Amino acid sequence: MSSKPKEGEAKQDPREAVDRSCRGPVLFLAFSAVAWLLVYSLFALLAGVKVHASGMMADSAWLTYGRIHPASQLALQFGFLVQLGLAVSAWILSHRGKTVLVDGGYLIFGGMLWNAGVTLGFLGILAGNASGLEGLQMPGKVLPLLFFGFALVGLSLVQTNNRRTDEEMSPAQWFLFAATLWLPWVLGGSYLLIHFFHAKGVVANIVDWWFIQNFAKVYLTFVGLGTLFHFLSALSGRQLVGRGYAQFAFWMLLLFGSVGGVSPGAPVPAWLPALSTVTAVFYFFGVIAAWVSLKRTINGASAVNDADSLAYNLMRLAALLFISISVVNVIFAFPGPGSAAEFTTYGPAMELLFNFGFVGLTLIAALYHIFPRLVGMDFSPKMTRVQTAAIVLGLFGATLPTALGGLMSGDAVLGSGVYFASLGDIFLLAGSLILFLNFFGAILFAVKSCDCLASFCGTGKTKEASA
Amino acid sequence: MTIGLSFLLGLLASSVSYFMLGLWWPVAVVVGLFAWLAFGLLDVKMDSTFTLLGGLLLIFCVSLSAMVFRASDQLSGLQYVDTQAVDGTEFRYPVPLLGNARYGEAIYKANGCAACHTQQVTHESVVLDVKALAGEKNHAAVQEAISRFYKVTGREASGGAALGLPVGEWETVVNGANAADASKARNFLSIAGASVDVQVRFRGEDLTQHDLQNPRGRGWGKRRSVAQDYLFAEPPMLGSVRIGPDLANVGARLSREVLMRILLNPKIVRKYSKMPQHRFLFEKVGEDEKGQHIIHDGENTFKPTKDAEALVDYLLSLKSANYPLPEAPINQPYTSSMPKPVSAPAEAADAAKAGNSGK
Repeated sequence: MSSKPKEGEAKQDPREAVDRSCRGPVLFLAFSAVAWLLVYSLFALLAGVKVHASGMMADSAWLTYGRIHPASQLALQFGFLVQLGLAVSAWILSHRGKTVLVDGGYLIFGGMLWNAGVTLGFLGILAGNASGLEGLQMPGKVLPLLFFGFALVGLSLVQTNNRRTDEEMSPAQWFLFAATLWLPWVLGGSYLLIHFFHAKGVVANIVDWWFIQNFAKVYLTFVGLGTLFHFLSALSGRQLVGRGYAQFAFWMLLLFGSVGGVSPGAPVPAWLPALSTVTAVFYFFGVIAAWVSLKRTINGASAVNDADSLAYNLMRLAALLFISISVVNVIFAFPGPGSAAEFTTYGPAMELLFNFGFVGLTLIAALYHIFPRLVGMDFSPKMTRVQTAAIVLGLFGATLPTALGGLMSGDAVLGSGVYFASLGDIFLLAGSLILFLNFFGAILFAVKSCDCLASFCGTGKTKEASA
Repeated sequence: MTIGLSFLLGLLASSVSYFMLGLWWPVAVVVGLFAWLAFGLLDVKMDSTFTLLGGLLLIFCVSLSAMVFRASDQLSGLQYVDTQAVDGTEFRYPVPLLGNARYGEAIYKANGCAACHTQQVTHESVVLDVKALAGEKNHAAVQEAISRFYKVTGREASGGAALGLPVGEWETVVNGANAADASKARNFLSIAGASVDVQVRFRGEDLTQHDLQNPRGRGWGKRRSVAQDYLFAEPPMLGSVRIGPDLANVGARLSREVLMRILLNPKIVRKYSKMPQHRFLFEKVGEDEKGQHIIHDGENTFKPTKDAEALVDYLLSLKSANYPLPEAPINQPYTSSMPKPVSAPAEAADAAKAGNSGK
């Protein structure tokens, strides 16, 4: 990133102006995301405990496993990942484009709508109004709320990208721009097909699988890759190598990530699972291309700035997880291994590892870099180290034993993997609690002790309350 | 983008439009050429939002039509079909949920039963057994055909046919063959003039257990589930994880009493069950309460609520994997080994009588 100070803002560092424009909206979205992460880890632990002690809380319909499990998934995917993804996208798009964030108010208002939608969906599932579909568990009525919330945020991001000062768009910008457009499209499309046109029978499930596939393989992957493309080159102080590879990866991942995700034995026409295998293989070519570009960029490099070394290493771990999970996924996309793993706890565990391990860790690492620039003071370094270790350990603890246990014991059996998984959940809860306190504390401290947030003080408090 | 990568992209674009979208092949070639030219020679820079937006919209439409609309077109015409129950009574399938069962489906949905239970029976493979019957005239030719079949497929000679085909008796030629081998056997044998009888068998962990044919079967259904089974489900709760057993056919396996006990406290039925207890579907009553489905769990006495009754009604209605469908038949025994239809001799006798009286 070559920074040429603009004539109009000659007196100031332009980056500071950009950060000032991002401050309120990005912090609001990031704080809500961190709060939802805490909710997720609490409910994931609760769901795990329910498996050990089946009689616990059996008098309460709200807290039965079949309700808290999907509710926790909603908190993770729509509460945490999407919101932190939006916050980081907003920051990267305005920094890459060297322009202030346009209409930050849309971001805040859209974020409020989105949060309202996720909260209503969460409570709706707990109250027993779930839709019965796996990817879109929330009651159908909250989907328009989510759609308009995201669309408002997207409006601001697209405008920011259009007002970039360099004509050239970098791979990070393509990926984040595409992701910003893609989610409302698939969300709106699924809503119309399922709840408006009332897709009959298994067609509703096919739409649901289509949404799940697009959400994970296009939206989340693009947010994760866009963030990696920006930060791995920015933090290592190198230019991104292999723009052509990134371009190839972009179209391949988009085309083949948007179709598929039907399991081998599903009760649908046989071409659907076959098509899913084909697209999974082609998708993998896109993954390789993205990996080549990233690998060449950071080969042998370390973080330029010591303060960023934690974020940089966490992102390298996330990139490693991305390529390794993709390799495993393409193997399990074939009907042989696929049917062996079908219906076992392997599937959800790997999905969690991909969503959280690749995308979530990338975004958390990005937050470590962004936060001090916005707030003017850093997270507590000791707490940050502890929370990162706890989250990474917890993540591996919650997923790997469950995935392996699922493969070894087969379906309709719950192996001993769940005991380790609960241990992982406890670590995850501790990590996200510390992250939450760290975030909250740093903001409180900044508001009280220094002038960094003085201009922002009044609105800051109401936002924390609403989040 | 280099010329090689863009060529690959063009190739992909044309194969996607030909195979996935089913376009006419010259159109597919033009699409591929266009993609190649755009990325390779004209070098689309991807610096304009317009290029990106155009590409995104195009791929969104491709994705929606290749996966969702194509499937919807194929499945929207599903109608009732005729099938028969175990006792032979014919009826139209699928049967809409009756009485309380529709409300029970809502209870199933609200409490997220699909988080641990699937409602889809799968099968792993289809195998075929072939029997042959040779008369005196063609016996040698049939023997010849059988040994040719063993030679061609490289199979070990098995069954009675290996020892020498008896004249005028059905004898197994091959057991557990795949479709290609079975069709070879049928062709060879029928060319040689033998009568051929083929049995289709489905194998898989989910299907009915049989010591020889499907030793690992768990008996969750007689056949795999197909789209037809979910015509009236709102929505079909197929599930993707089995922490508990599959429920597509649970109505044929368990009784109302057992289901009630499992819902209240699964440990009454299976000691190490991990299933959560659903006491909120029951109400505590006094020891001396009389009536149907009163359950003692050792300490207290419970009576099912309206919700529990409806949920069990719904579960009992789940019998889909029991009935044969054209696209998903259940295992059929050899027609040659089935008892002769009773009416046939009577008819023959009638025909003979009619013939006699006519003369």
